[in-house]
Amino acid sequence: MADELKFPTNGVRRDADSLGESLSALIRDAYAPPGGEAYWPGLEQRIMARVASESQVETGWWSVLAPWGRPALIAAAAIFAIAGVINQQLVDTDNQLAYESAFQSSTPDVVSTSEEIMSLERGTDGATLSYFLSH
Amino acid sequence: MRIPDEERALAEAARKGDQAAFAGLVRLHQRRAYLVARAIVTVHEDAEDAVQEGFVRAWQAIERFDPSQGFGAWVNRIVANAALDITRRRKVRSTEELNDALQSPFRDPAQDAELKSRLSDALAQLPERARSVIVLHDIEGFTHVEIGEMLGIPGGTARSDLHHARQKLRTLLQDLRG
Repeated sequence: MADELKFPTNGVRRDADSLGESLSALIRDAYAPPGGEAYWPGLEQRIMARVASESQVETGWWSVLAPWGRPALIAAAAIFAIAGVINQQLVDTDNQLAYESAFQSSTPDVVSTSEEIMSLERGTDGATLSYFLSH
Repeated sequence: MRIPDEERALAEAARKGDQAAFAGLVRLHQRRAYLVARAIVTVHEDAEDAVQEGFVRAWQAIERFDPSQGFGAWVNRIVANAALDITRRRKVRSTEELNDALQSPFRDPAQDAELKSRLSDALAQLPERARSVIVLHDIEGFTHVEIGEMLGIPGGTARSDLHHARQKLRTLLQDLRG
């Protein structure tokens, strides 16, 4: 029916092409939730129960630690840097000790070699050795 | 857009974490949100899931909401997205399910059963988006632009879908209307 297309109701914008009010009412009724008005407080409660549940998840015990996250990261970075410096110093010290120990252990050998040379020079082959050392 | 003072105050309080204020927003907007979801998913249980999910997402994102904008439009878009997620997950929706939904025992028993059956069949024959558009526009009064934002399509496409959906629905229900 042509007049079915021209019922402006419920604040719904209607134009000449709109569905008729009776058809709109049928669809509205078909898409209404079960339980009539009593449905809405229940839906609100269920929504808010989920919201509260989500909020609890958001504010779990671990969230207490959240404010400490940044300072903890800075502290960890500082500790890491200090540890690195200390480690480097230990390595340097070890190298120095190794070098010194190597140097000190070789000194008597040099001395003994010199002494050996001196004693050899005094031996029978002294002339030959003197020849090699001078060339 | 003129935002009612009550809604603005509730939105600002909710942004600061006030759950009671958020409950006030839910109370104000859950009906429209439900109808938006129902227009998209058609089945009551899915519509409720979409509404719950939509409001939970809105709560999680409330810090990003601009109180100078309408909370209803914002939450309806989120609910529509949640409903579209559900339809994507359950892509195949049988006519039987729609019939069951429309002939739920919660409906007015005085309603003409044959008319409802015909209507449910006709709606089921519409493409999913066309059905959503026709319900959102002709039943809920959303504009083409609002519908486009909710469904992720241009406003012009919503207008075109609406025109074709009306034509098809009229054709399907021609004998009833005559």
